[in-house]
Amino acid sequence: MRTFVLRRMLEAIPVLLGVSALTFLLLQLAPGDFLDAFAENPSVSAAQLDQMSRNFGLDRPWAVQYALYVKNVLLHLDFGQSFSYHQPVFRVLWHGMGNTLLLAIAGACVTWGLALPLGLLAAARRGTWVDRVLSIGSFALLSLPEVLSGLLLLLFAFRTGWFPIGGMHDLDHDRMAFVPRVFDTLRHLVLPALVVGLVPLAARMRQMRSSVLDVLRLDWVTTARAKGLSERDVLVRHVLPNALNPLITLFGFTLGSLLSGAFVAEAVFAWPGLGSLTLEAIQRQDQYLVLGAVLMASAMLVAGNLVADLLLAFADPRVRHD
Amino acid sequence: MRLPSSFAIRLLVAFAALALAGCGGAKVARRVDQHPLPADTLTMRMREIGTYGGRFVVGATASPKHFNPIMASERPTNDVCNLLYTSLTDVDYTSLQDVPLFAKSWDWSADACTLTFHLRRGACFSDGHPISATDVSFSFDVAMDDSLGTSMSEGLSVTNARTGERERFTYAAPDSYTFRVVTARPYAMLLSATSTVRILPRHVLEPVWRAGGFASAYGVDTPPESLVTSGPWVLREYRADEKVVLGRNPWWFGVDAKGQRLPYLDEVVFVLAKDQDVAALKFQAGELDGLDNVRPEDYAAYTAGQAKGGYTLYDSGPSFNTSFLWFNLNPAPEDSPNHEPGEPMVGAAKYSWFSKADFRRAVSKAIDREALIRGPFRGEGVKSWSTMSPGNKRWYDPAITGLDHDPEGAKQLLAGLGWKDTNGDGFLEDGQGRTIAFTMHTNADNTMRKEMLTLVRDDLAKVGIRVDAAPLEFNTLTAHMRSDLDYDAVLLGQGSAVPAEPGMGQNTWRSSGLLHYWHIRQEKPATPEEARMDALMDRIVYSTDEPARKTAWRELMGIVNDQCWIVWLPTQIIRLPVRSKFGNVAPSPMPHRILWNVDRIFVKSGGH
Repeated sequence: MRTFVLRRMLEAIPVLLGVSALTFLLLQLAPGDFLDAFAENPSVSAAQLDQMSRNFGLDRPWAVQYALYVKNVLLHLDFGQSFSYHQPVFRVLWHGMGNTLLLAIAGACVTWGLALPLGLLAAARRGTWVDRVLSIGSFALLSLPEVLSGLLLLLFAFRTGWFPIGGMHDLDHDRMAFVPRVFDTLRHLVLPALVVGLVPLAARMRQMRSSVLDVLRLDWVTTARAKGLSERDVLVRHVLPNALNPLITLFGFTLGSLLSGAFVAEAVFAWPGLGSLTLEAIQRQDQYLVLGAVLMASAMLVAGNLVADLLLAFADPRVRHD
Repeated sequence: MRLPSSFAIRLLVAFAALALAGCGGAKVARRVDQHPLPADTLTMRMREIGTYGGRFVVGATASPKHFNPIMASERPTNDVCNLLYTSLTDVDYTSLQDVPLFAKSWDWSADACTLTFHLRRGACFSDGHPISATDVSFSFDVAMDDSLGTSMSEGLSVTNARTGERERFTYAAPDSYTFRVVTARPYAMLLSATSTVRILPRHVLEPVWRAGGFASAYGVDTPPESLVTSGPWVLREYRADEKVVLGRNPWWFGVDAKGQRLPYLDEVVFVLAKDQDVAALKFQAGELDGLDNVRPEDYAAYTAGQAKGGYTLYDSGPSFNTSFLWFNLNPAPEDSPNHEPGEPMVGAAKYSWFSKADFRRAVSKAIDREALIRGPFRGEGVKSWSTMSPGNKRWYDPAITGLDHDPEGAKQLLAGLGWKDTNGDGFLEDGQGRTIAFTMHTNADNTMRKEMLTLVRDDLAKVGIRVDAAPLEFNTLTAHMRSDLDYDAVLLGQGSAVPAEPGMGQNTWRSSGLLHYWHIRQEKPATPEEARMDALMDRIVYSTDEPARKTAWRELMGIVNDQCWIVWLPTQIIRLPVRSKFGNVAPSPMPHRILWNVDRIFVKSGGH
């Protein structure tokens, strides 16, 4: 098992290198660079732009820029500086990552917290109106674009005044005691978490439903019923634990997309996460900041896949990683 | 299903209760002046004497990237730094005249090459350390440090009339309260150029600068209490991508007419609201006190909602931002992949049209600017014929006009070129039977420009010119404009420089300029008119006689508008909503629209 984990981690290095090279290439192919915003300013001269270009190293061919970047990363673990913040990229990104994780985990709680019981219910009432209402409802949510559902929820917050219009903290957050502080953050978290969580709900619910149905077809379920167990006991005690197996693997795989799944909701709700930071960096062509963000998301994906494989091994004794 | 729904209701009730509880916060502390006033206070001009307390919350489209005014290069960082740090002089945003700030007065030498500032005595940084001429001198050292590549360094030099080399200002601090700047030749914008240098604490930052760490000094991770500022405000709190809270600098030298220390407000808060619609919702919900960007189509709704929403929609007058279009007359550069060097980038046929002044004049005459004002501007626009819009109280010149809507005149000019609709398709053909047709771009993220482009296309069709409207992503468009020069015509705009004066437009009006849109970076003037424009620009930049500068500007714009190298479009009237409880609010059409006088804004009694 230990060699398996070690091997997977070593395999991640070329993957991340490839991702960084591709990102760098795409950034170079995109028209313009970080200095475009300066060139728009009527009082910035060509000579000054050339000077800035030298200061940022943008005057060199991109292959040289990339080679220097890789060298600094490998030798000094230096991922470069953000052009606009004048700070090392991870110092800028760190903060956003925590907020994005919080939102993504809250979103996952919404998804799984609803998908498991509703999927079970749909399977148990298969073919009835309950099943149909649930599948129509979840697919309606799936087909609603996140931007639209986000804006609708903002409008809901505005009309009712129950929730704040975006953001993560109240203006007076830092003057609050600990408990009101937690509730303040939760209050800001509810709507964006709903947007993040409701989109994948349909798929997870369908997977749960079919998984439960698969188990229901097995002989021992008939045996359990024949023993005279109540339908409720059959479902909760026997069917549920067995039906969860494939979903555990699925859960592991969704871990990888935690960092990238919340970008739209972050933009709409002004959530101070990695998404808005990355988007702004891309728009401004702050290239090392973009690279840092992409690498961080990729590392999460790799780690998520690894966790998924490990979870599978724990959940299913037939799987061995040697 | 019963269980989850009752749980949801309980959850909602819990949150609703919390929402109500949250409204009671923000007790405002009464102000006590902790420090004695300096010997030389600065009495700020204002309409009403205010009272202390309260906070002003404004939306920001992006977070500041750091709190280092010398390295600041973009709007959100500048907005915050301008409040945190003072400078020698300032520009009054209503009259656009220069006014004292840290310099209480200044005088010019007889040859207009030496400017001596007399500095305020007793002024202090936010840590109580006195501000003196050595701090000013240090700030200039840093601003002119080439290794930092600051955006103001270029403005702190003049071009030698004989050699054409850039020559830096020299400066000295003969005593603690005198600062002197010397230039190689008289320079019209000397005062405004020196005011771009914000005053930094030498006692804190000089060691950092000497150690080579200045570029990243005062970054966003600086603890707020350790940021030493010279302006009316100090940094109280920074939350990445969320908000910036500024508090009152207890040492600030500005006072009101009663001698009470400014600012009146306890706090100014910038809350991040990237999206304009979200910012509008936040304003309507009472989370923001003012908006500094409202679309003209929303003016009517804001006007109607004033009483109910407790705000006033202020009329700031015409924007300093201008809109225009131009035709590509650029020759191919040396390294052009598809063209011989020097050959017109648009090809021989289009160049033969675009290079004719009568064609460009016809285009200007074909455009119905009143229809543009009624359409995209929703009636909230004015005609503008130069970069100094009618909103600019100091530099707007009503004698500068251009060729306005006259479709018959346009048709005559086109007929005069020998162009006729020979094949009856409604569009003109030139002498060689080629249809007069080209593509015009604008940036796709700007709805108003896209609407203008559509109307311009229709107007030009009416006189027999076919335009394909093709909005492009902004970066792609600027790459065409500056690097590959591969385009026909562009509809775009220009934001106002600070200070908003003709001398700041060297990059646009000089033939060598990067923003000399129709033919950028000329090695020597391509036409006699452009040679004349360069000479006029010299006079605008290097004369200190304001009437002479105004005459030169009028002649320069006369040339541009006669040649129609730039075809002007209308400019927007700015209206901004701010809560009525605030006094001394006077939004300006210049950048920092609401906040330029926030040190004087106060909460009217009963407004808390």
